[in-house]
Amino acid sequence: MARQNDSADYKGPVRRVLIAILALALAGTFLIWRIDSPRVERFRAAFIDRVVPSFDWAMVPVTRLAAMVEGFQSYASLYEQNQELRRELQQMKSWKEAAVQLEQQNAKLLAQNQVRLDPKLTTVSGVVLADAGSPFRQSVLLNVGARDGIVDGWATMDGLGVVGRISGVGQTTSRVILLTDASSRIPVTLQPSGQKAMLVGDNSATPAIDFLESADDVRPGDRVISSGDGGVFPAGLLVGEVAQGTDLRLRVRLSADYQRLEFLRVLRSHPAEQITEPGVLIPPPLPPLLMQEPEAETAAEEPENG
Amino acid sequence: MVDPVLARRLGYPVIYATLCLGFLFLRLLPLSTLPVGVPGPDFVLLLTILWVIRRPDHVPAPLIVAVLLIEDLMTMRPPGLWTAIVLLVSEFLRSHRISLREVNFLLEWLVASLAMFAIMLVNRAVLALFVVPQAGLGMSMLQVIVSVAAYPVLAFALQAVLGLRRTAPGEVDAMGQRL
Repeated sequence: MARQNDSADYKGPVRRVLIAILALALAGTFLIWRIDSPRVERFRAAFIDRVVPSFDWAMVPVTRLAAMVEGFQSYASLYEQNQELRRELQQMKSWKEAAVQLEQQNAKLLAQNQVRLDPKLTTVSGVVLADAGSPFRQSVLLNVGARDGIVDGWATMDGLGVVGRISGVGQTTSRVILLTDASSRIPVTLQPSGQKAMLVGDNSATPAIDFLESADDVRPGDRVISSGDGGVFPAGLLVGEVAQGTDLRLRVRLSADYQRLEFLRVLRSHPAEQITEPGVLIPPPLPPLLMQEPEAETAAEEPENG
Repeated sequence: MVDPVLARRLGYPVIYATLCLGFLFLRLLPLSTLPVGVPGPDFVLLLTILWVIRRPDHVPAPLIVAVLLIEDLMTMRPPGLWTAIVLLVSEFLRSHRISLREVNFLLEWLVASLAMFAIMLVNRAVLALFVVPQAGLGMSMLQVIVSVAAYPVLAFALQAVLGLRRTAPGEVDAMGQRL
C-alpha cells in the first residue's frame, strides 16, 4: 500500500507522536474511570449538569412537537382527545390501584386494628429533560438535583408505579436508572404469595424476576411491590404485575407508563432503623445530651447505613 | 470580509461537528423511554468513518476526539475508550487515504463496514478485559449491521447536499497543495 509522504518531512513524525499522545491520554482517561469510577462519574454528572439544561429551550419544543406528530393520526382534535383519554385512563388506573390498596389496608386494619404510615415519605417532582441517548442504556435525566436535596439511591415514581432509582446527582440535574436498564436490580415482593424476589432489568420492556423461591406459587397477574429489603428502596411501592414471557420466564409488566415519562416524583426516603442482631434489646431513642457519648462507638458502624 | 479559502477550510469541520452534535441531540430527546428491539444506526461513528474515508483533510484528529468525547460523556459510555479506538482506526484510514481514493463504492463500503466492526469488537474486548458490564453481543452486532446498512444512504445524501465525495487522484486544495 502506498503511504502518504507529506511535503514537509517534519510534519509526519511530529503528527504521529501527537496522535500517540492523544490516544494514550484517552486510554488513561478510561483507566482512571475504571479505577476511580465515582470521581469520574461525578465529573460526568457535572458536565451533563452544565450542558443539558442549556439546551432546554430547544429540547422542550422539539420533544413536544415530536410527541404531537406521533399522536397526530388523522385529525387535529384527535391529539387533544387522545391526551385526555390517556390522562383519564392513568387516573382511573391509579384509582383502581388505590381501591385495591385500600381494600388490603382495610383487611389489615381489621386484623390488627392499628396502623401507622411512614410520615417521612415525601416527594420532589421533576421533569424529564433527556434520555440516555444509547440503545444499551435505559435512563433519564431529571431537572432536579443536589440543589433540591436529591440523594443517590432514592426511588423515583411516575403517578402510579416505580420508574427507577437515582444514580448520579448533579447540581441541578440527576439521572434515573430505569428498572429496564441492564444494571438495575431491586428487591420486590410478589403480593398474594408474599414471596421475596429480585427484579432484574435486562434491556427489555419487561424486566425479569430472579431469585424466586418457588415459581409454582406465582401466576401471571400477581401484584409486584417493592419489598424494602436492603434499605435502599422504601417498601410497598407498586412496581407492576407478573406476566409470563414467551420463553416461560416470569417477567413484570411495569405499571409506570414508560411510553411517555414526563413528570417523575422522587421519594425522599430515609434509611429505616436497621436491626442487625437478633438478640439485642432495642432501646428507645436517647435524649440528645446522652447521645454524645455513644456516638464515638457507633461511628465505625455508621457508614454502612449512610 | 470572510476569506473564502479560510471559510471553505473551516466550513466542513464545523458542518461535521454540527451534524454529529445534532444527531446526538436528537438521540437525547426523551421521545420514548421504552427499550428498543432494533437499535438505530450510530450516526456519529458513521459520519466520522465516512468523512475520514472521503475527505480526511476536513476532519482533523482533535475535532474527532472532541466530538466523540462529548458523545462518550453524554451517553454514559466509559469515557475515553471508544474515542481512543475510533481515533486509532481513523488514523489508520487516514494513512491509507491515497489508496482509498481509487477504490469503487462497494470496496469503500466494505472498508467502512470492517472499520465499524473492528471498532465494536475491540471496544467489547477491552471492556471484557477490564470486567466492565456491557450489553449483549447481539445488540451491538445489530447496531453495527444497521449502521452498515445506513452507510450508502448517508454517503449519497452527503454527496448530494454537501458535495462530499472522494478526491480525484491529483486533485489540489485551494492553497494549491496536493491532497
